[in-house]
Amino acid sequence: MMLLEHDAKELLATDGIPVPLGVLATTADIELPAALHGPWMVKVQIPTGGRGKAGGIKRAGTIVELRQRLGGLLGKGIRDHVVRACRVEQCVEGMECYLSVSLDPAQGRLRVLLSSEGGVDIEAHAERGALISADVAANEREAIAAASRLADSIASPARETIVSAAEQLIAEFFVFEATLLEVNPLFIRPDGSWTAGDLKLVIDDNALVRQPRLRDLIRRRADAYPEMALKLNHGFDFVVVNPDGEIGLVTTGAGLSMQMIDELAERGHHAFNFCDIRTGQLRGDPTRLINVFQWIAAGRNVRSVLINFFAGITHLGEVAKLLVTALNAVPELRVPVTARLIGNGYDEAIAVFASAGHPLRVEPDLDRAIELALTPLTGARR
Amino acid sequence: MTVPSVVHVPFVTPDVATIVQGMTGRTGRRHARLMQAYGTLIVGGVSPKSDGDEVDGLPVFKTCIEAVAATGAVASVAMVPPLSVLDAIREAVTAGIKLVVTIAEGMPVRDAVAALEIVRAAGVRWIGPSTPGLAIPGKLKLGFLPDVSLAPGPLGIMAKSGTLSYEVCHRLVGRELGQSLWVGVGGDPVKGTRFADVLPFMLTDPSTHGIVVIGEIGGSEEEELAVAMRAQNCNKPVYALIAGRTVREGITMGHAGAMIQGDVGTIASKTRALTEAGAHVFTRIRDLIEAVAAEVGKGEQACS
Repeated sequence: MMLLEHDAKELLATDGIPVPLGVLATTADIELPAALHGPWMVKVQIPTGGRGKAGGIKRAGTIVELRQRLGGLLGKGIRDHVVRACRVEQCVEGMECYLSVSLDPAQGRLRVLLSSEGGVDIEAHAERGALISADVAANEREAIAAASRLADSIASPARETIVSAAEQLIAEFFVFEATLLEVNPLFIRPDGSWTAGDLKLVIDDNALVRQPRLRDLIRRRADAYPEMALKLNHGFDFVVVNPDGEIGLVTTGAGLSMQMIDELAERGHHAFNFCDIRTGQLRGDPTRLINVFQWIAAGRNVRSVLINFFAGITHLGEVAKLLVTALNAVPELRVPVTARLIGNGYDEAIAVFASAGHPLRVEPDLDRAIELALTPLTGARR
Repeated sequence: MTVPSVVHVPFVTPDVATIVQGMTGRTGRRHARLMQAYGTLIVGGVSPKSDGDEVDGLPVFKTCIEAVAATGAVASVAMVPPLSVLDAIREAVTAGIKLVVTIAEGMPVRDAVAALEIVRAAGVRWIGPSTPGLAIPGKLKLGFLPDVSLAPGPLGIMAKSGTLSYEVCHRLVGRELGQSLWVGVGGDPVKGTRFADVLPFMLTDPSTHGIVVIGEIGGSEEEELAVAMRAQNCNKPVYALIAGRTVREGITMGHAGAMIQGDVGTIASKTRALTEAGAHVFTRIRDLIEAVAAEVGKGEQACS
C-alpha cells in the first residue's frame, strides 16, 4: 500500500530525513503554529501520484489565500479519491532534482533513477535523456553505489549533496521494506543541505507483521487507512468500494470477490464492498461473519446481500451453521440474503438453513445467484 | 519490457516423488493425505521437530537433506507459515529439490526477492508464494486445488487468483472441458513463476489445445505474457479474464499484488496488450465459458 505523503514525511523525519515543516489540515479554518510561516504549499493527501497535474497542489501566499485553497480542495474528488485532508507546508527553495528507488517485481531487482531536473514533468525529462537509471541487485550497498555512479554526471557541489541524500533515503527504503521510494522534487542547495520536497513511499503489506513502526502508524491513522487497519485488527480483507453501493458481498478469495464486483457493474449495479473473508480460517468461529454482516448492515443504501463461498476444502454444512449463528447475531441486517454455495456438504447446508428457519435463498449457480440477489433492486419476480 | 530469464526445467511429471515440508502441522498433515489420495506420489515429509515420526504411514525427517537422501524426492510442497517460506525454499534447494511449491499467503516481498535469487542460481522451479499450487488433473496435484474443479482435458490454466480459477474451471468442467496442466502462479508481486514462464510449456504440450488466463489488476504480468505470446508465435487460442475493473488506484484488493499505481496495473493496459497479442479478453465469466466451449470444445470433438 501507498502511504500518504504527510505520513511518509513525518515517519522519515523521525529518522532525520529533512522535510519541509508542515501540518495536516482537515478543515479550512486551520490555525498554524508560529514557526510555520508562509508562503505555503497546500497538497491534497490521496494515495495516488499525479496530484499536481490533477489540480491537487496549490501555492498560497497569505493566510486568507491558504484558507481559500483549503476550502476549495477539502471534500473535492481528485483522481477517484475524496480529499479528506491536505498537508500545509512551508515552501522550500533549491535546485530541483529527482531520485527514486523501486523494486522491479518481474526481475526481483531494484531500479535506481536519478535526474538533475525534478518536477511534475519527470516523464518529459525521461524522454530527453535527463533521467538516468541503473538496475541493481536488491541490496542496500549496490543501490547506494548505483546512485553514486549515476550522480557522476552532475557537477559539484550538488553531486556530493545528492549522494549523501541518496545514502540516507536508500537506507530508509530498506528499513521499511518499501517497494517504492520517490523524492520529487529533491531540493539541493549550494550549502550542501537538502530537503525531500515530495515523498512517495509504497510499503509491502506482507512485511507489516515485522514492521512495528508501520503498524503503529496505520493503527494511529486508521481513518486514513481503513482497509489496512481493518486487516491488521481482524486478519482479513474488507474494503468499502462504494458507500452508496446496493449489494453487500460476503465472499472468499480476492480474485473472485473482485470479479463479483465487476459482474455486478456489468449488470448496472454497484457493490457496497470487496471482501476476502477466507473461509478456511474461520475454524468454527462466526466472528468474521458477524463483523462483515454488521459492516454491510451499516451501508446506507444496501438492499441485498450476496454470499458466495466456493469451498475447496471447507465443509459447507459447517459454514451453514456459522452463517445461521452470524445472521441471528446481526438482526439489524434486514435485507434479503442470497447464498451461493458450492463444494462438499451442499445438502447438509440446505438442511441447516431449513431447520434454522432463516429465509435465506440458496443457489449453487453463480449467475442465477447474482440474478436472485438483484431481484430486490429491480423489483422483478422470478 | 523484458521477459524474465528463468531456467526452463519441465514443470512437473505425473510420477514426481514429492515431500511435504511442515508435514506435522495441521495444514501439512491434511493436505499430504489429500494430495496422496488424488494420486500424487508423496514419499515423506519434513519437520524439524520430528524424531523418527510417521504421519499416515509416511516417514517424517528432520531436514530436507535427510528426506531427499532417504526417498529420492525431486519435488517439495512447503506448508509452512509465511515468515518461514524463505528458509523452507533455501533448505529444499540445498537438499537438491528441483521443484518447490509454497502455498503460504503473506510472504514479505523482500523474502520473495531473496528466494528468487536462490532458485535462479540453482536452476530450481518455484511455484508461489500465495498459490493453491499446480496440477496435472487425474494424475497429480501439488497443493490444494479443489477436486470439484479438476478434470483431465484440453485446457492449460494459468491463474493469479485461486478462487476465481476454481469458479471458472468448475464451470468449464461442467461443459466437459477439463485441464491438461493447471498452474496457480499466485497473487503476489514477486513470485517464482510468472504467466510468461508458463506459456512455453503450454505451447509445446500436445495435450493443450487452449489456454485460459485468470489475471487481475496490478503489476505487469499480463503485459509480459502478451510480449511472450508474440515472441513465441503463440498458435493456440488464449482466453483471458481480468478481475478488478472497478478498483480505484492506490487501494490494495486482498492480494498483495493487486494494486494499481499510476498507469501500471490497469485493466486498460492489460486488455490492450493481450488483445493486441491475439488473446480473447473477457469481462464476464459466462462469456469466457461460452467462447471456450464453442471454440476449444468443438476442436476437441473433432480430434477425438
